[in-house]
Amino acid sequence: INVCTQRSTRYVSAISAARGLHKSALDVAKRPAPEETVTSSFGRFIQSVQPRHLSPTVLQRSKRMVLDSIGVGLLGSTTDVFELALQHCQHMYAPDDVSFVYGRQGMKLSPTLAAFVNGVAAHSMDFDDTWHPATHPSGAVLPALLAISDMLHNNSKPSGLDFLTAFNVGIEIQGRLMRFSDEAHNIPKRFHPPSVVGTLGSAAACARLLSLDRSQCSNALAIAASLAGAPMANAATQSKPLHIGNASRLGLEAALLASRGLEASPLVLDAVPGVAGFSAFYEDYAPHPISSLEEDEHSFLIEMQDIAFKRFPAHLGMHWIADAAAVVHKTLVGLKGGSISPNLVQDILLRVPLSKYINRPFPETEHQARHSFQFNACTALLDGEVTVQSFQPEALLRPELHALLSRVRLEHPHDNPANFNIMYGEVEVTLVSGDVLRGRCDTFYGHWRNPLSQESLQKKFRSNAGAVLSNKRVERLIEAVEGLDHLDDCKPVLAQLQ
Amino acid sequence: MILDTLGVGLLGTSTPVFNTVLQCSQRQQALENSKVWGRPGLSLPPHYAAFVNGVAVHSMDFDDTWHPATHPSGAVLPALLALAETLPVKPSGLELLLAFSVGIEVQGRLLRFSKEAHNIPKRFHPPAVVGIMGSAAATAKLLGLPAAQSIAALAIACSSAGAPMANAATQTKPLHMGNAARGGLEASQLALLGLEGNTQILDLESGFGAFYPDYVPYPLAEVTPTSHYSWVLEDQNIAQKRFPAHLGMHWVADAAIEARAKFLDKYPNADLSQIKKITLRVPSSKYVDCPLPLSEHQARHSFQFNCCTALLDGEVIVDSFSKSQMNRSALKEMLWKVRLENPQDNHSSFEKMYCEIAVETTQGETFTARCNTFYGHWRKPLSHEDLVRKFRANASTVLTADVVEGIIYTVDRLDTNQDCSMLWSYMHFNKHVMHRDERRYSALA
Repeated sequence: INVCTQRSTRYVSAISAARGLHKSALDVAKRPAPEETVTSSFGRFIQSVQPRHLSPTVLQRSKRMVLDSIGVGLLGSTTDVFELALQHCQHMYAPDDVSFVYGRQGMKLSPTLAAFVNGVAAHSMDFDDTWHPATHPSGAVLPALLAISDMLHNNSKPSGLDFLTAFNVGIEIQGRLMRFSDEAHNIPKRFHPPSVVGTLGSAAACARLLSLDRSQCSNALAIAASLAGAPMANAATQSKPLHIGNASRLGLEAALLASRGLEASPLVLDAVPGVAGFSAFYEDYAPHPISSLEEDEHSFLIEMQDIAFKRFPAHLGMHWIADAAAVVHKTLVGLKGGSISPNLVQDILLRVPLSKYINRPFPETEHQARHSFQFNACTALLDGEVTVQSFQPEALLRPELHALLSRVRLEHPHDNPANFNIMYGEVEVTLVSGDVLRGRCDTFYGHWRNPLSQESLQKKFRSNAGAVLSNKRVERLIEAVEGLDHLDDCKPVLAQLQ
Repeated sequence: MILDTLGVGLLGTSTPVFNTVLQCSQRQQALENSKVWGRPGLSLPPHYAAFVNGVAVHSMDFDDTWHPATHPSGAVLPALLALAETLPVKPSGLELLLAFSVGIEVQGRLLRFSKEAHNIPKRFHPPAVVGIMGSAAATAKLLGLPAAQSIAALAIACSSAGAPMANAATQTKPLHMGNAARGGLEASQLALLGLEGNTQILDLESGFGAFYPDYVPYPLAEVTPTSHYSWVLEDQNIAQKRFPAHLGMHWVADAAIEARAKFLDKYPNADLSQIKKITLRVPSSKYVDCPLPLSEHQARHSFQFNCCTALLDGEVIVDSFSKSQMNRSALKEMLWKVRLENPQDNHSSFEKMYCEIAVETTQGETFTARCNTFYGHWRKPLSHEDLVRKFRANASTVLTADVVEGIIYTVDRLDTNQDCSMLWSYMHFNKHVMHRDERRYSALA
């Protein structure tokens, strides 16, 4: 049951519902003009926003997001789940299509399937960016845009600025949608946000890059709504990466369908009592329109709310606990010198927010390990850090790690809510000697309050991309993305990925 | 159910929405292909064949409806036929029927896990929720997947389930069915390749439970070689529609036809413009309350439109939703005279609802009628004759008489047929295409 706040008196049908009356034919004739609905304001925004609306901050941040996303995608192309999704697509479709696949030089797929597999790659290791309210925005948008760019004729590739505009439209739409619900501000419990807002973000970005008219843009969003929504239960499983892959692919499909004239609900983003649209995915949905670009200067959300880039491939919550545990590790090394022996440790207490799907005492797969407070804390305690290698099968099976895991217990303090903007992580290790060592992290390095330096971001990119590309290509990519807003067309980026 | 579904699917291949999705899907090429209904020579990768054929089935809202509410067959049959065509060893008719029944059964069981599911939906469109699960189950069955992989198929499908109600009564609604069929098939194929999901997907509130506010699942009864299995379909029959519109419209049409008959009985030469006011007492359901529908999709979801059509014509038929019929001035004038009431005792449930109509004339006389159970509802199912008649009418728009009879024959004997590949071959004809070829030949002669 939706609790939809009633909109103003412009919505005659809403008033009728409140009074328990029926719309008579006369009332319907007074229905508000399309411009006034939330849905149409979105369609209008997507079509009419221009490159000049992108401020320097927005340009800078979005380029960082593009770089990081390509890097994690390239690294992700080495995972099992990626290989599986790729086989699936190749089996179904002949390899004489147009769009590149991360980490598979020369291989092409149809644009929607390329968006799918590359999206899977981006989220395959939970290494991609995270925003507030919570979602992974870039992985849903970038693969689809790159796929379209490959699809367009050599003479009509988008300019770097066009590309960045479309990218930012995709991010902005996601941010706007999430702000329609208070519940969306907390760590999700029901639907996995990338599958909800990511799909519409992809649709918006693709609609923009394909230069659809405003009514087609609105329809793209509405068609995408019928393709959105995946339950949380598949998080921490091998299927989770498909949420982003599907968000990217289906958003692109929605835009393509809209470009062919398919129509859907003109009120999908509006709160219509008794008929759920996008509101179906939230308990508390209160939408409002995007203001017209003619009236005020548009302020992109990424400007007021920066994004988090991960330092290691695991759920965002793990980063607080890893940093806290690293503090304890350093202290321990200072005290005892050398490597940490589990025999020194009597008890490990973690103070973390309450969130069932990241509370896993003994993870058995890499997917579970990426979603385990306990695993990440103990890894950081042992090694001083968590890295890509921490999730390899050998690392998962270490006896020292298992010994530590069996000594962990969790506490959920009231002042530690399941919210990426407010939460903290605390590690308290009691040694057999009786000493108690503590570490606390309020803001990990990489969080939006303490963003990665450009150096650190590039280091992460080099490490990721270097797993599958030559050094030359890696450096050219860094250069191309860095100067993206000055490129006449985005071929320099695409060329390194083919 | 299979016969009815094939018929509505063939009819649906003539719709604009079908053409749009077909054009879109043709971008893809494939190693394996399955036939598109009503398009001789055209095949698509199985997922996309399942997609477009699924869209065809639901394109006119003419497909079957169950209780709790969903349209079960359209999500399952297109996926099964598309898959069966690609299998190296074609399944027997009985195997196909078994897989089909599994797909229906899973949907029925899932719907019973929520009380809210028993009412006319408000939030998520059921075919997008349970339909895709049914498609996953059915295709997993046909592929012969072991239990663990069948579970994976369900889990993978779950992540593609769910579409909001707002797109009902729009051109996008049929895609819910197409995507359910396609998504379930894809999930099975991913499971076959080894993809895993949450093994407790149906148990968790954060799993399939995400789609319901009141989710209480329970295990299915065990199936042993000797025991008897109690299928949901045995206890709960299905409704098959007489005209292509939302199920709720069928109560309205039957009541309106009866009131009209009473009116004309008393005044055989009466002019229907003598009607001053029409009151419809129906359950509250926003998405089918549409006083002035503009598109055919809206018209199929409008108590008012179906009422007035039935009053004017004494019937509602396929053609009632054509542009010319929708634009009739007599119809438009009558629409202004309708008002809806939602009595407390008229529940928004296809099991409990009724429709009462009161037609008031300019002379001050009132004619009333009430329909509790329309003909075609599960409590009063279509006779075999009438079902076959519906199929013939639908299928003949696309197929020649001999092919139509061939399908009727094949489906009738499906359980004894060793090789059911005739079924998708028959669906692959189109009499209009043949016609043009014939004309070409005669011109050359």
